[in-house]
Amino acid sequence: MLRFWEKRIKTGIVTENLEFDKEFEEIKKEIKDKIKKHFAGSLAVRMVDSGSCNACEAECNALSNPYYDLERLGIHFVASPRHADILLVSGVMTFNMYHHVWDAYKQMPNPKWVITLGDCAKDLGVFEKTYAIKGIDLPVDYHIPGCPPSPKKIMREFLNFLKTTSIS
Amino acid sequence: MRLIARFAKENKNNFEIIDVFDKEVKKHFLDKNNPKIKTLTKKYPAAIWMERKIRDEFGIEFEESFDNRPAIKHERFPKDIYPLRKDFKDKKIEFSKFTPYKYEEISGDSVFTVPVGPIHAGIIEPGHFHFSQAGEEILHLEVRHFYKYRAIEKMMENKNPLEITKIISRISGNESIAYQKAYFNILSKASGFEISENLNKTHAILLEIERIIHHLTDLGFIPNDAGFAAALAYMGKLAEEARRIFKKVTNHRFGFDAIFNNEFDFSSLNNFLDYLKNEIKFFENWIEDIPSVWDRFDTTGRLTKEKAIKYGVVGVGARASGIKIDTRDNDFYKKYGFEIQLGEKGEVADRFRVRIKEIYNSIEIIKNMLDVKKEEFEFSVKDGEYMSFVESSIGELFMYLNIVDGKTDRFYVRDPSHINWQAFHTTIYKDIIADFPLINKSFDLSYAGNDL
Ligand code: SF4
Repeated sequence: MLRFWEKRIKTGIVTENLEFDKEFEEIKKEIKDKIKKHFAGSLAVRMVDSGSCNACEAECNALSNPYYDLERLGIHFVASPRHADILLVSGVMTFNMYHHVWDAYKQMPNPKWVITLGDCAKDLGVFEKTYAIKGIDLPVDYHIPGCPPSPKKIMREFLNFLKTTSIS
Repeated sequence: MRLIARFAKENKNNFEIIDVFDKEVKKHFLDKNNPKIKTLTKKYPAAIWMERKIRDEFGIEFEESFDNRPAIKHERFPKDIYPLRKDFKDKKIEFSKFTPYKYEEISGDSVFTVPVGPIHAGIIEPGHFHFSQAGEEILHLEVRHFYKYRAIEKMMENKNPLEITKIISRISGNESIAYQKAYFNILSKASGFEISENLNKTHAILLEIERIIHHLTDLGFIPNDAGFAAALAYMGKLAEEARRIFKKVTNHRFGFDAIFNNEFDFSSLNNFLDYLKNEIKFFENWIEDIPSVWDRFDTTGRLTKEKAIKYGVVGVGARASGIKIDTRDNDFYKKYGFEIQLGEKGEVADRFRVRIKEIYNSIEIIKNMLDVKKEEFEFSVKDGEYMSFVESSIGELFMYLNIVDGKTDRFYVRDPSHINWQAFHTTIYKDIIADFPLINKSFDLSYAGNDL
């Protein structure tokens, strides 16, 4: 274990994009009341794959690696839609996932938002319509483009969502 | 003989069943008015999902089959359509009445079921795991898939074969390079040109980077599921660094479209691999010394050699059980340092260690191949049937394409996961339900590649 701590100290903190922290602080001030009222100071995200290629999930998982450490901004992934403010949906929404995704959405408490993640969640991307694909017909509030969007891009878009979304 | 795939296609005057074994390919032609054939499942249990899929998609019956439940046709999927038949052209279907799926369940005093999924607690792909439990102990598990079924095979039909490469890249994101390579091999066969050693090396480098990233990710997540989060931080960092290198090499973090774009920058690779090797050595020494991790890894999730052979398991899953099976086990790869990496008992610990050993070997292979040069290629495909095999980061990937009148008539791909998922339930009988995430991660199979 000593070896590990030695290495840990030598490596230091690798987390990047510290500018996001500053930005987040500013946003917080800007929309402090909104955040406090609606998000209890942090943003809880429930990710659901509606029929992706799995790369969008991999990039979301990468958000927790030491380079991005998304949680430091108070944005975190939750296990249940009932704990979520945001439903983050990837994939083309297959026929077989359709009701499950809608179920997850319905389980979320109000107010709630839907963000689509990745090109194929918006307009199928490179894929084409087949009988097995429904396409996402949830009330989408925001879209994060890319195939897949990089972790840094996802972070930036989360902040942008917070800035631009009007919360009544 | 090992069964690799059983799939169907429709010809003008009949249905055709193609059985691909490791030693031969068998074809059967069935009457269109009454399509039926004998099941393979008695000898080859992994044919079950293949046959259930064929029945759903083509309406072909399998005689003496013991499992006639639908596979891709879920509860609200219309049962009376056969969408992979040529006369089925609808792009939109309506939900039909909900018909419950009959799960494999064990009943009895104080036996209960635990249904998990399709949507899971973490950031993972959807699939359903149906446990029959006696307290903590797992009595039975049924793995149910095809939630992500996009009908990729149908999507590919009637296309110019050169214009579907972007979809090929995105069938299963973490195996993108393997899919591209398999398809590249098919296109080159169809164009009648032999791929040069130089080009094969170029592609092999990409394949090995993809494998390294996949293994690094797992080496973090497996211990994390055993409660050792420090490993995830360590490996999450390394996996991210490897992904960034991949982006430098291919201009994409997952190498999407890379093989067909054919623009590479290998300049940063050599130094990175030296660094990576040291980091892995450190990791290996460190984690080998942590008894609580091995306490969870040892004896857990055992895939016995007999079961692995019976199901025709491939890839890391098979090698960790001591089975010598790897598409790379050939002269070309051996010349550049490939050595097959085996485990013994097929437990989580074996799969974990095989992944570490394979990273070292992949590093060596890449280093021996780095003298590659840029080389152009051009396809002009001819009609015919073509097949190819590639070792993806999960295992043996099999791909098939039939070209008729210059168009794709039938595209089929058998992801390694399609086989390995079916053997999965055999690994949990001595374990408790809390071990399940750990075992699942140690195989790390693709849902998208299985479901298509
Ligand atoms: S947007 Fe691209 S990367 Fe994301 S799931 Fe769709 S195909 Fe995969």
